[in-house]
Amino acid sequence: MKSPEPENFGAHSRRTFLKTLGTAAVTAAAARAQSVAAELEKVNAEKTLGPGAVPVTLKVNGETLKLMLEPRVTLLDALRNYSSLTGAKESCDRAACGACTVMMDNTPIYACQKLAIEAQGREITTVEGLAKNGKLTKVQQAFWDKDALQCGYCTPGFVMSVTALLKKNPRPTAEEVKHACAGNLCRCGTHPHILQAVFQATGVNTASKTEVMDYA
Amino acid sequence: MKAFEYATALSTDSARQLVADHGAYLAGGNDLLGLLKEYLVSANILVNIKSLPGLNQIESGSKNWTIGALVTVGQIEGHAEIKKTFPGLHEAASEVASQQIRNVATVGGNLSQHSRCWYYRHRDTVCLKKGGDLCYARNGENRYHSLFTGNDCISPVVSNLATAFTALDATAIVLRDGKETRMGLAELYQKAWENPTAHNSLNPGDLILKIEIPTARRRSAYLQASDKHAFDWALVNCAAAANVVDGKLSQPRVALGCISPVPHQVQAANDFLDGKILDDATASQAADLILKGAQPHEHNGYKVPLAHALIRRTLLKLKG
Repeated sequence: MKSPEPENFGAHSRRTFLKTLGTAAVTAAAARAQSVAAELEKVNAEKTLGPGAVPVTLKVNGETLKLMLEPRVTLLDALRNYSSLTGAKESCDRAACGACTVMMDNTPIYACQKLAIEAQGREITTVEGLAKNGKLTKVQQAFWDKDALQCGYCTPGFVMSVTALLKKNPRPTAEEVKHACAGNLCRCGTHPHILQAVFQATGVNTASKTEVMDYA
Repeated sequence: MKAFEYATALSTDSARQLVADHGAYLAGGNDLLGLLKEYLVSANILVNIKSLPGLNQIESGSKNWTIGALVTVGQIEGHAEIKKTFPGLHEAASEVASQQIRNVATVGGNLSQHSRCWYYRHRDTVCLKKGGDLCYARNGENRYHSLFTGNDCISPVVSNLATAFTALDATAIVLRDGKETRMGLAELYQKAWENPTAHNSLNPGDLILKIEIPTARRRSAYLQASDKHAFDWALVNCAAAANVVDGKLSQPRVALGCISPVPHQVQAANDFLDGKILDDATASQAADLILKGAQPHEHNGYKVPLAHALIRRTLLKLKG
């Protein structure tokens, strides 16, 4: 996946900046970035912004995106149409289907019902941010292995919901998986395979633990 | 969505000033952005209130707990002490929408969400709730609508938390005209009973700050029935709270949602249950009292037996 390079992207991306520093400095820099974000929020607080485009800085998949957005632009719109990050899908645009699921500070949310301007200072992770150096995560690999998709449109959303679940609960029961994925709809009906994929990702032998997900 | 201005408020005073006459408070945004996208409400400014100090806390106390209006539904679901102290509230929160929504949806937003009536939500329909002349649901598709109402609009309140808070006899602390005003849950929705265009009793600019829940009732329970197992509004929901001593109820309160524009409660039923031993027959008689005078429409008659069953089951859950 090509890195997002909006027109007004700064001369130094977070990645090139970090490459020049050691690990200790990275930690310090990250801490400073947090406090800079907090400072910025204070400075901008109580100031009326918009309705025209205003500078919005997002941290997506560890990179800093500097964008010019109207306050009404949703996080999903900012990702897909202003940053070329099309992993999160637009389907219902009403917080009803889960195709746009991303993680905000490790918590799954619907990107379609969150304003981009509100997501400043938060760590946003999209499906593009999961694989490192071309190596799929356990969850992604399990979706692949278990054929847990058909048309694939809902898949990034499911992958994000499952990834968030396993961070919090590494060995979920089938019920817990269903509860965590209730906000993701799949019209192809791949739920049984998704459940198998989750079990594979958690290291459970799926041959003996497979059950059909009852999403009646 | 139409374009709007945006500001982050750091104090309730400035939030109120920034919202002025034509703005809207933004917290979780689930309901608000949906309404803006459908052009059902208009706002010239969205005032982000998530940075208001002190409103995202859950505070326990011996007589009362307070839950800030910015606490997320997910925080309630994940709070072990709430699960122990107010199981009915915990169950109601767990059934709200999906985890993606619960992670951002706030208590204040859940309580003040607008009607889900499909005529109200349809951008091209100017129904009674939107200031038109006619409630289209009355003679239209009304399977999700009310059994009780004090006006011509039959769209019901659908907040799970409102039902649980009503059973627990909670009080909302609302910022109105620069002062903190205390409103019981009945009061918080009373205007929706009388006025077809109201979703609750909040005036423009009013802001729910906190919910105070008395700990007087040691037991509580919540049940809902929906078309889908998960991620769905309730067809009917029911919450009950009481103390149970030697099988006898004291201070019992039962509330239902999705069958009236206000959380439905009947004092005569609460009085009837007081001092009674909980059994099937008692629960059934209470359900009769609670549903007395229900006025089903063409497609929602099923809600009467459904509500009856839910009241019985919820009450019996109090036995533990």
